Amino acid sequence: MGLFDALNVSASGMSAERLRMDVIASNLANANTTRGADGQPYRRQEVILQEKSPSFGEVLGGVMVAGIVDDPTPPRRVYDPGHPDADKNGYVTMPNVNPVTEMVDLITSSRGYEANVTAMNAAKQMFTKTFDVLR
Amino acid sequence: MDLFDISMVGLQRGMSGALLRQQVLANNLSNANTPGFKRSDVDFHSALAAAIGGATSPQSVLGTGFSVETDTSTTMRADGNNVDVDGEMASLSENTLDYQAMTSVLSTRVKILETAIGNR
Repeated sequence: MGLFDALNVSASGMSAERLRMDVIASNLANANTTRGADGQPYRRQEVILQEKSPSFGEVLGGVMVAGIVDDPTPPRRVYDPGHPDADKNGYVTMPNVNPVTEMVDLITSSRGYEANVTAMNAAKQMFTKTFDVLR
Repeated sequence: MDLFDISMVGLQRGMSGALLRQQVLANNLSNANTPGFKRSDVDFHSALAAAIGGATSPQSVLGTGFSVETDTSTTMRADGNNVDVDGEMASLSENTLDYQAMTSVLSTRVKILETAIGNR
């Protein structure tokens, strides 16, 4: 067990939560995007977190991002005949992003980040104490 | 009294137990949003108390191993995750204080030794 393994575990949590925040920000920014990268309406994206298996010499590995996947829920249909992307019935296909869900996810992810920062500070405090033993 | 007697070795094992527990708790927190994750913990106090209780020599305490136990009996959320962030925070500060207590005792012992050696 290395001295800095606890820091690595917390760091993995922090970067995973930050990536989640990036994806949530992208979902919010594209909440009304009718033309995504593939020409289709934007699809909400979700981060899949997975427990990381420890590498050699480590006890625990922390967390890792297994992938970013599209949310398969059907898109919203909004009646807006004047919209250039409206179909022949006057309906526009809008992204399946619900800003309220995104906000809740954002809070979860930001609290998760804070929890990891606290764990990292606790580890730092412990290491500082170790250096004080022989002072 | 040996230079490194049972309590000195006990402190050493206790400190590495607390470091291991810090890592386990950090792992729980970093997986707080991982679906299906189950929290783990290390009960290094009981393992160490048992080892010190039946100890005849410092060597027997030095060999104390700690095991990481996974708690699969509870569920906190619909996704099967059982990390209670508040509980982890409480354990985390408890563990930091534990560690600080052990390091203060250790540094006091080191100071006593230094006085005996005539370093100060």
